[in-house]
Amino acid sequence: MANEQPPKKHIPTEKKIKRVSIAAAVLVMYIWTFMSIDIDWKEAFNRFASNYNVVVPQLFSPNWARAGEVIEKMIETVFIAYVGSLAAAILAVPLGFLAAINMTNNRFLSTVGKWILSAVRAFPEIILAIMFVVVVGPNPFAGILAIAIGSTGMLGKLYAEVLESIDMNVVEAMQANGANKIQIMFHGIIPQVIPEFLSYAIYRFEIDVRASTILGYVGAGGIGTMIFFAYSNRNWSDMGMILLVIIVVVTLIDYGSTYIRKRIV
Amino acid sequence: MIEFNDVSLVYPNGHQGLKDVNVTIEDGEFVVIVGLSGAGKSTFIRSINRLVTPTAGELKVGGDNILDYKSKGLRDLRTKVGMIFQSYNLVKRNSVFRNVLAGRLGHTGTLRSVFNLFSKDDKALAYESLKRVNIDDKIYSRADQLSGGQQQRVSIARVLTQKPDYILADEPVASLDPPTSHQVMKYLRKVNKEDNITTIVNLHFIDMAMEYADRIIGMRSGEVVFDGPVSEVSEATFEEIYGRSIREDDLRGGAKDGEQDQ
Amino acid sequence: MANKINKPGLNDDVYAPMLSPWRAKAKISLVFFIILFFLWYSSRTTGVDFGDLIMGFTNMGQIIDKLFPINMDVLGPAFDRLIETIHMAIIASTFSTIIVIPVSLLAANNITQNWFIYNATRLIMNILRTIPDVVLAVIFVGIFGTGPIGGIVALFIFSLGILAKLISETVEAIDMQPIEAMRASGANTIQSIAYGVMPQVAPQFTSFALYVFEINIRASVVIGLVGAGGIGQLLMSQFSFNNYGAVMTIILVIFVVVVIIEYISTKIREAII
Repeated sequence: MANEQPPKKHIPTEKKIKRVSIAAAVLVMYIWTFMSIDIDWKEAFNRFASNYNVVVPQLFSPNWARAGEVIEKMIETVFIAYVGSLAAAILAVPLGFLAAINMTNNRFLSTVGKWILSAVRAFPEIILAIMFVVVVGPNPFAGILAIAIGSTGMLGKLYAEVLESIDMNVVEAMQANGANKIQIMFHGIIPQVIPEFLSYAIYRFEIDVRASTILGYVGAGGIGTMIFFAYSNRNWSDMGMILLVIIVVVTLIDYGSTYIRKRIV
Repeated sequence: MIEFNDVSLVYPNGHQGLKDVNVTIEDGEFVVIVGLSGAGKSTFIRSINRLVTPTAGELKVGGDNILDYKSKGLRDLRTKVGMIFQSYNLVKRNSVFRNVLAGRLGHTGTLRSVFNLFSKDDKALAYESLKRVNIDDKIYSRADQLSGGQQQRVSIARVLTQKPDYILADEPVASLDPPTSHQVMKYLRKVNKEDNITTIVNLHFIDMAMEYADRIIGMRSGEVVFDGPVSEVSEATFEEIYGRSIREDDLRGGAKDGEQDQ
Repeated sequence: MANKINKPGLNDDVYAPMLSPWRAKAKISLVFFIILFFLWYSSRTTGVDFGDLIMGFTNMGQIIDKLFPINMDVLGPAFDRLIETIHMAIIASTFSTIIVIPVSLLAANNITQNWFIYNATRLIMNILRTIPDVVLAVIFVGIFGTGPIGGIVALFIFSLGILAKLISETVEAIDMQPIEAMRASGANTIQSIAYGVMPQVAPQFTSFALYVFEINIRASVVIGLVGAGGIGQLLMSQFSFNNYGAVMTIILVIFVVVVIIEYISTKIREAII
């Protein structure tokens, strides 16, 4: 079979350079990572071997005696999440309006608004919780504040996106008809965005429940405090119970929230 | 050689796909299967490479009964049987070349193919196949950048790269416009004649069937109701096969010598 | 939609075609009351009410007092630990990206024909996704001791669950016809997957991998707080020594780095899709 080889593939030089440099950058990153990370594998393996039997079997046999306590704390956790995300859902509305280009008609204001929201988003809730514990003391209030501020960032950004995608024809029609800003907002804009706002608020609530579970670790209330104690006392059986309750509650809330969100939108 | 001996196929839902089919196809024939939708054309064709499995009878391909084949046997069978589909079935994001090379997958070891290490012979074969259907200039284009007719030609090139003993085509031109349809059928005929590969095509356009086939098999409700050389066929035959008179959309039309598409 | 020529009156809910007038009001009111009820009940349980909440916000000024002046001495160690944090995220993301390839295929109903394996995989992945990253970290720090190892394993498992869901959903949405064609030409399962599934999923895969890397960076910071290494561990130790000045510095450093990494990653993702 005297067949000829196909012609070589011609890749434009620019693309070649791009590819090579990306590959090089990734390679450098990996070399840097694996050379710098200082892990004593032998030690790690030993610890694993010795700790495994202490931790894992206990983890899988949860301490039912404390179930009541754990559930109570979990309820507190859910409420922290609830109040916090509710406050955020409300606070984020004016912020969302500020950040949406088609609402303020001011490019500068909208960009600034978006930057502020992004900045707030960058803070993990638990770090906010640390700050608030410093200010208001170690109680659930700090946790609520942390969740509220943390969620406002993400919700504000999502709200702004929703607002930017509504049908402006409705607004125009109302303006042409002589309605003032407030009337336009309540009769024209709000009805269009409420389902989506609610949907995002509920979605954020799901995330906040997960986040609230650990706020107690730094003293901001909720089941996190129990986690802290179980860990300090190496009480893995308690930890197993906590884990079980968390899994069950979060799963239930996820299902409920997905169900409600489907009905809304 | 393909032999259907009393082959029947009943689907799990009870529908009878094939009923007592007895057909022998010699090597090198160009056979066109005609019939209305649901007549069993697709079932017939897909039985040959075991994409569907007959529930009764004996189906011999190249002398062996393929109904007993398990996974290795199936793989070997399918490397010998190439198939062309109505929707071209190319991987859209891959280049034409890569799509055509996929024809060699059945012949290449798993590890080597995953890392795209095809032999030089394979690559040369793929290039050769592309040249035979006149689409070698698009060799590195993405498959979804081509027109329907071009994609079908790439399909043919892929099948050629398999070096099959048989080619099956399930409604290869149903999604194409008339001139392109004729062009694709011409390529199928060309390959059939040049390589002496047994070719079996499903068509529901009777004028194309009469133009390109050596032999026509008509099916209705899973049974073979006509089997003979194209010289014995007329429009009346089709009316018998279909059980109704011929309609406008049973005909393809279009220029007899297909225009070159871009 | 409202016709501009025939201008309906202001109170006509032609302007809000998605909700019919009184039904919408009833629905919204109902939802509102449910929310209010929960709010009342939850404030009773936590011992906090909205009044306190408002006061709390106005107390923000106190934060400035207690957390500043910032202590710059801690910058050196902070950067070192920050790099450790980033390394942890890189390693965990890499492993989870690799392992998710077979896992997501098992969790895709167009690839896995075995009902049992499919559902078992999905169940496990769903459970893993409900466990908060910190809880995972606490467990693995318990097994491996403090330091980055526990953190890496925790992040790995955490991101595996997320990735598995995202990618298996992408796989389930692909076009199966090219794969049928490949099987018809004699390719075996692995070859069909490599040539048919992977190319279709590739851009989404990369995008999700970067997304999970972003998540892991943030999570890596957080899990350090429970002793899993990285800058979080430093933050926690300074916090427990009541070195609030240092705490603020570290927080600022974290903040800046997280913003930068998220920005870069988002830009890259936009460029790919």
